[in-house]
Order: sequence, then C-alpha cells, then structure tokens
Amino acid sequence: MTIALFSGSIDKLTGAGVLLAGAAADDMDVEVYVLIQGARAFLKDVAGDPAKLEMAENPHLKEEFLASLEKLKVMPWIEFFETAKELANVKIYVCGLAGKIWGGEEVSDFIDLVDDIVGIGEVITSLEESDIHLFI
Amino acid sequence: MDQEELKNLKVDKSVDARAVACPGPLLAAKKAVRELESGQLMEVLSADSATKRDIPKWAQKKGHEYLGTIEESGFFRIYMKVK
Repeated sequence: MTIALFSGSIDKLTGAGVLLAGAAADDMDVEVYVLIQGARAFLKDVAGDPAKLEMAENPHLKEEFLASLEKLKVMPWIEFFETAKELANVKIYVCGLAGKIWGGEEVSDFIDLVDDIVGIGEVITSLEESDIHLFI
Repeated sequence: MDQEELKNLKVDKSVDARAVACPGPLLAAKKAVRELESGQLMEVLSADSATKRDIPKWAQKKGHEYLGTIEESGFFRIYMKVK
C-alpha cells in the first residue's frame, strides 16, 4: 500500500495514522510519502505539539476534536505512526521539495519516524508498483 | 464454541483493551499474539463494539482460529486460538 500524505491537518493526520496502524496490524507493507503540508507536520519542532497543527476543515472544532480523542483514549497521531512501524514494514519518506518549503533540508530536521527524503520519481515508482493507493 | 465452553476456557494470555477505542484493541491483539505460540489461546477484552467484528475478521484473515465472543456488562471477551 502507498499513502500520499499531503495534509498537515491534525484530523487527517489522525485518520491517516488509524489507517496506517490498521494496515500494519494486517502485516501490509506500506510506504508513506509525505507531501507539501504533511511535511511540516513531521518537523521535529512541530510534530509533537498539537497547538502547531490546525484543522483544515471546520477549524473552530479543533478543540472539541482533541478533547474527544482524549476522552476516548485515542493515541496522538504520531503514536499511530510509531505503532505501525513497530508492527510491520512501514517506511515514511518526506518529499524533498516539501521539506525545503518548511526549512527541512536534512532527514535529521524531521522526527525519527522519517526514514529518508526522496524525490518525486520514487513516489511515482511506488505508486506504479503498489496495489492500493491512498491520497490523504 | 458455545458460551459455556468459552467461559470454561483457560487462556494463555488476556489482553485488556477496554480503555481504548478502535483501533486500540486490534493493535493490542496484534502485539500480544506475537508473544504466543501456535495453539495457545488468547482473549481480548474490549468495550468498543466495532472490535467485536474487527478482531474475528482479522483473526480469520491471519489464519488464527476465532472461537467466539462473550458479551459481558459493558464489554466483550473475544477468544481466539493462535495459528
């Protein structure tokens, strides 16, 4: 499975994490390509801080969304990604251009979950070879 | 298995995932099953109604044997035998 993760919206990151963790529980190999807005969310100084991530749709409901997640004891979006990597062969790649847009030049600028920085050729090759594609 | 047989099972591992919503119980089951050997029995406790369908489907797909579910007050006990 290949996930093109364009969004940096906290609700979509959470949804992507749930799908990714579910796929990992199913032992699926997954490659996640983090694009444009998504790349910002994976920066070290952004990823763990919900205050730095907005909700693209219905931004006024962000606090309600986060409060519900907490009440339901749903893990933060990063932990879904961590769990997925623990359970299965999950790779997370940041698009080189997307990284540069937000000042992330090196893989070390991003959280440890990120495996590498790649170009669009690798994204396209993965899409060609994968049987399931998700764009989030 | 009928409910009486399920109640009398002696499980090798019990996973209490009642505090977490979907997909927490499935992830807990996936982690726990790695610690078990073929033929061992596991129960997953979940208060999430979606898990009642999720875990049997996952177990079947992964080759484990789904044995049945007991509905308790406010939660489920889902039983499976590891492949």
